[in-house]
Amino acid sequence: MRFQRRRLNARIYRVDEDELNALKKRTDIVAVFIISLMALLIARLWYLQIHRGAEYVRLAENNRVRALDITAPRGNILDRQGRVIIANRPSFNIVWTKEDAPDPDAVIKRLARLTGDDIALFLERIRLAADNPRHIPIKLKEDVDWQTLAAVENNHLELPGVRIMALPRRDYLYQDLASHLIGYLGEISQKELEGKKDEGDESYESGDPIGKMGAEKLFEEHLRGEKGREYMEVDARGFEQRRLKGLEAMPGNDIRLTIDIDLQQAAEAAMAGKAGAVVAMEVNTGRVLVLVSSPALKLKEFIGGISQKAWKEMLTDPLHPLINKTVNGQYPPGSTYKIVTALAGLAEGAITPETSVFCTGAINFGNRRYGCWKKGGHGTVSLRRALAESCDVYFYQVGQRLGVDLLAEYAKSFGFGRASGIELEHEKSGLVPTSEWKQQTKKVAWQKGETLSVAIGQGFNLTTPLQICRMAATLANGGTLYRPQLIELIKGPDGSDLQRFSPVIEGRLRGTDKMQELIRDALTAVVNEPHGTGSAARLPSIKVAGKTGTAQVIRLAQYKGVAENNVPYKYRDHAWFTCFAPAEKPEIAMAVLVEHGSHGGSAAGPVAKRVLEAYFNIKKEETGQPEPTEEAAD
Amino acid sequence: MLRFDRRLLYNFDWIMLGAVLAVTTMGLINLYSSSNTGAGASPIFYKQLTFFFAGLGLVLLAISIDYRRLLIWNYPCYWLIILLLLAALLLGKTVGGSQRWLNLGFFRLQPSEPAKLMLIITLASYYYRKDTGKGFTIGELIVPALLTVLPFALIVKQPDLGTALILAAVFISMTLFVKLRRNTVAILLSFCLAAIPLGWKFFLKPYQRQRIETFLNPEGDPMNSGYHIMQSKIAVGSGLKFGKGYLDGTQGHLHFLPERHTDFAFSVWAEEWGFAGCLFFLACYFLLILWGLNIGLTSRDKFGVLLVFGIVSLIFWQAIINLCMVMGLLPVVGIPLPLFSYGGSSLLTTMLAVGILINIRMRRYQGKN
Repeated sequence: MRFQRRRLNARIYRVDEDELNALKKRTDIVAVFIISLMALLIARLWYLQIHRGAEYVRLAENNRVRALDITAPRGNILDRQGRVIIANRPSFNIVWTKEDAPDPDAVIKRLARLTGDDIALFLERIRLAADNPRHIPIKLKEDVDWQTLAAVENNHLELPGVRIMALPRRDYLYQDLASHLIGYLGEISQKELEGKKDEGDESYESGDPIGKMGAEKLFEEHLRGEKGREYMEVDARGFEQRRLKGLEAMPGNDIRLTIDIDLQQAAEAAMAGKAGAVVAMEVNTGRVLVLVSSPALKLKEFIGGISQKAWKEMLTDPLHPLINKTVNGQYPPGSTYKIVTALAGLAEGAITPETSVFCTGAINFGNRRYGCWKKGGHGTVSLRRALAESCDVYFYQVGQRLGVDLLAEYAKSFGFGRASGIELEHEKSGLVPTSEWKQQTKKVAWQKGETLSVAIGQGFNLTTPLQICRMAATLANGGTLYRPQLIELIKGPDGSDLQRFSPVIEGRLRGTDKMQELIRDALTAVVNEPHGTGSAARLPSIKVAGKTGTAQVIRLAQYKGVAENNVPYKYRDHAWFTCFAPAEKPEIAMAVLVEHGSHGGSAAGPVAKRVLEAYFNIKKEETGQPEPTEEAAD
Repeated sequence: MLRFDRRLLYNFDWIMLGAVLAVTTMGLINLYSSSNTGAGASPIFYKQLTFFFAGLGLVLLAISIDYRRLLIWNYPCYWLIILLLLAALLLGKTVGGSQRWLNLGFFRLQPSEPAKLMLIITLASYYYRKDTGKGFTIGELIVPALLTVLPFALIVKQPDLGTALILAAVFISMTLFVKLRRNTVAILLSFCLAAIPLGWKFFLKPYQRQRIETFLNPEGDPMNSGYHIMQSKIAVGSGLKFGKGYLDGTQGHLHFLPERHTDFAFSVWAEEWGFAGCLFFLACYFLLILWGLNIGLTSRDKFGVLLVFGIVSLIFWQAIINLCMVMGLLPVVGIPLPLFSYGGSSLLTTMLAVGILINIRMRRYQGKN
């Protein structure tokens, strides 16, 4: 120890004061350097924390708080008795938030392995959403089953950024029932989004569902409800830490339609395999009970966007499933139009109930021969028999006496030639030809002979099945033209009535009660008398009144005069049947159109019969017990 | 053991000890928060607390032995450290892609930490012995350069560029501090300028280059390399004047901050205590550094002055680089904030170094007797 100390002393106490002082002088320079760097740090802190602090506070909040929209449960769609047609069910979607995923590739790979899906599918969805803000969750898979749900939940620690999002989804309790009327939902398109923004509605965001057709689209505003908002505190890996205060979603309103599920089902069953339309309404209110366009849309195919292939199939389908034939299809009314001609003839004094015509099976007018459907002729026919057996020659005569313009006035008083105002999109107005109309559109004068065709519902006339049904209803109720009505009531999510829709009268039918009564009686004969054309719609206990019709389809010359069954489908005539019942005190009116069904009586009559059966069975049940609600009593 | 000089106690450096205790206490308070998971103190905190007490023991040990004794022990110690560095490379535990740790059973030692201190002692004793007073020539710098390059290379190999950079910074600081000949400075300067582009191209690994590029253009890649700097700036900036409150920082607790116990510990402090807390911290820290420098001024011998300067430059460079990184003024380099960041090796080494400072201060009147 002593030795060491001596060595130390020998070495260290060699002190050079000058050198030491030089070092100490340099120390001063170093001190200045250190202090200036300290000043730099303080300035930097001031800059970050004071000068730009507010901005960093905002960034920190953005980091921490994730705002998510909560989809409001969409309102239900009910039938007139309050039975649910379309409801919601919970569905579970796998979503992924870009911002929360530090290592997206690995996470997506792991997820694809778990769900057993092709990873390319997920990557494609992510690619499509590339322009979305980072914090908006991207849907990777919709409506997953319970096993997948459990697998993802159990592995959520290895799947940062991946979450399960519960979303209400449409539940089609009756599958494709009233598909054209109900319509479907789809993701909002860029165009729709811009349209909504232009209307000042900022509540939609890309990815939101929106009604694309039918009631879903028409009553979008009511059904939709209001989105809620959820605030979540998340950590850097995207795991939710706790829920902060948020905003509850407001469920949408329920829409009660005037449609009756039982009748609609009966009508759709009767139309199975056929193309065409069935419309039935309450004669005293204009409420539509049945609205069938056949074939139905397959609503399931539309969920989550229809595939190109399915869409093309529908477009090229000869039965035209995409068209709502009840209001968007226009057809010549055929012999059902004789109701109009008959009323016009009586009211204008062109005929009396007793006026009779001798039908030889054809009439010559100008230099053309106008044939009756019955080649051999009906012999001597009065108005009653002419309607019951649908004699064309009789109505050629009536039409000839009236002229096309007078006929048109009566047609218009039945509601033809204009949109009825029903709450459906793109409703067609049909066409009631007049001489003025022809001059204007065709630049040619009206030919007298054309009036004959119009009088029996051929020629330029175009009508929709809804208009034909309204004609029957108007005649049945004693001449009041109601606006067809599809929606009865809007109910709030708490069950309160928000808005009730009452019948709207659009006009009065021309002609006296007596004249209408005469026609009603003749229509009863159509169904109930031996030679009537509508016997297929006869019911045992209830007296039905109706009129058959056959709308000619323009066919190639080669098929002229060929038996209907041997003509290719697309050249066959359309079959009409319109009716009301009970004949004495009508409640329900109906129009049935079977496209290319050939003869009204045989093709369309049975359809009407089945709906009427369903209707009067209901009536029996209903009168047997007290009415459940006030609305159902109408 | 040694005959105890009562003057030693009388001259004990209470200011230095106070500054060290203030900084380490803040470090522990901060670690309690940053490692808190809602269920009280975490094991990390107790570990660091243990290191702190062990560090106090090291301070006591360091002050009880005359620092001049280091002149005798420095080379054996130097080679011991080199051996440990080699061992870390050969037998060490790989964490996060680099081999820095040597498992001693009770403690995982990071030999690169004591290597920093060892280099200071070695360089101080070399310069002390060789000094002729006329300034060093290039030739005379070869030995200290080799003494630095050896641990430097071993640490780069781990790889731990941050620590290696500190070794280089300490070497350069100390070499500049002792006198160099003018032409030596000129030659070295031109050499360095030539070395920068070469080093960029051949020496830096791609990820290291990327860090520097990211720093120069942080918006270019906000989610990856730039993410850490951005998150740290958000943490610091959102602290405002008085902070979000102790244990209430969101950036740290929700894991937005990377390395919040170690390299980015100060971000947590800044977030929770705000500008006021940062000023207090910096005041204590720079008191420690400047007071350390002052110890050099009072030292009676050149070895002491060089030793003091080395230790102060070690603490200073690490602190300034760490703080600049946390505040977004420098790219991400893995350098802890001495006495504040979590990490046993760093804390023990720094406390030992501070012990040496106190030792030198205590013996300022010795030597003339």
